[in-house]
Amino acid sequence: MTLGVLERWVRDSAARLDAEAERLTALDSAIGDADHGTNMHRGFTAIVAKLDAAQPQTLAEFFKAVGMTLVSKVGGASGSLYGTLFLDMGKNAPDGTSMSAAEWAHALSAGVAAVVARGHAQPGDKTMIDAFGPALEALDSALAAGATLAEAAAAAATAAERGSADTEPLVARKGRASYLGERSVGHIDPGSASTALLLRAFADALAGEAT
Amino acid sequence: MIGFVIVSHSEPLAHAAVDLAMQMVHDEAPPVRVASGADGGFGTDAAAIADAVDALADSDGVVIITDLGSAVISSELALELRTSTVPVRISDGPFVEGITAGMVRAATGGSLDDVAHEAAAALAAKRPQGSPASPGAPTSDVLAPDGASTPDASIDAVLRNPMGLHSRPASLVVKAAGGFDADVAIADVTTGAGPASAASLIGLLTLGASEGDIVRITATGAEAAAAVDAIRRLVDDGFGELAAASA
Repeated sequence: MTLGVLERWVRDSAARLDAEAERLTALDSAIGDADHGTNMHRGFTAIVAKLDAAQPQTLAEFFKAVGMTLVSKVGGASGSLYGTLFLDMGKNAPDGTSMSAAEWAHALSAGVAAVVARGHAQPGDKTMIDAFGPALEALDSALAAGATLAEAAAAAATAAERGSADTEPLVARKGRASYLGERSVGHIDPGSASTALLLRAFADALAGEAT
Repeated sequence: MIGFVIVSHSEPLAHAAVDLAMQMVHDEAPPVRVASGADGGFGTDAAAIADAVDALADSDGVVIITDLGSAVISSELALELRTSTVPVRISDGPFVEGITAGMVRAATGGSLDDVAHEAAAALAAKRPQGSPASPGAPTSDVLAPDGASTPDASIDAVLRNPMGLHSRPASLVVKAAGGFDADVAIADVTTGAGPASAASLIGLLTLGASEGDIVRITATGAEAAAAVDAIRRLVDDGFGELAAASA
């Protein structure tokens, strides 16, 4: 997978967040502070502007640019957590401009591990980890079974979407929604929904390259 | 001096809390940077927090005081992003009380440990007298009543001002006690509360000493007598609040 695919991924994510901002914000208005869609859209719009201004020359530059933009532009926990994801993926990415499927899986799992360390969320706490966890498992098992990265990424996106849907009956135990306690039941966690969106966008960016 | 980075989702909230705390600072104010909002809206920005910490690189240490949950996550990330090496503590103290107690302690020359402890223990001032602190909360601001040594100086005085030893008078006591080479403590003889270290605003507030209470001012150290005398004069003077009360 090349730097070009990664760039297409975040640009396409920005477009999807533009279309889906209202849905994400609606999820967040049910159990949070009603800004997740707006915040994520603002962050990814800023990433696109940054890529337009100066194209990253290496994987490390790409992940750092994306991570720092999310930290500064998204605000709140999701900015720091998604920022941490990309910053730590960058620290665990190979030198140069392309990475193998195994290197992608390694970087992604290192990034998610950093998010867990930063946010202290456990599976079942009704957070983005409930989408990332199943996605990593699906990615690893698909790659172990001999799938291409495009196939494995599609399986990961599907697992993330299922994981996000499965947050609906959970009681939030992290973040602002945790103040609601039982009242958070019956709503999908917005962070898990944006994670599913990003992973689906990644799978589609790879599928676009394969065809 | 110890500096402060105030991390809030709301810039007006951060500035108002700092202004409120500054009411209690009677000396040179500690350096403060506000890191709040994200791109103009509500939120926190780890990069802005890192910049604020770096701007205080010349201070003796930095205490970060945070409001809602994600402010802590952003502050932890900021410690990885910053470029300076000044020692930093992220306080888990309450926002308004922690800023106030921490800044008063810093203005009187407290170390990073002193200031961080003061900010973290600031919730104690809100608890009803005699109720147990939450598990793990520091209790060392209330000194053991039976000290190992007898104080070098001791005097009893009656609190004359209507509000008793509330935050403004307590901050004056902290400032006065900090000016002497002595460890000063105050106990409320009337209620049996304390003694509390006069270096700790929060410790003094937890005494809950009110008008008419007899307080015992004790001190140990080279300037014990002068320290006790200075604080007795503050008490006798009603902390400057008597004229205002009768006006």
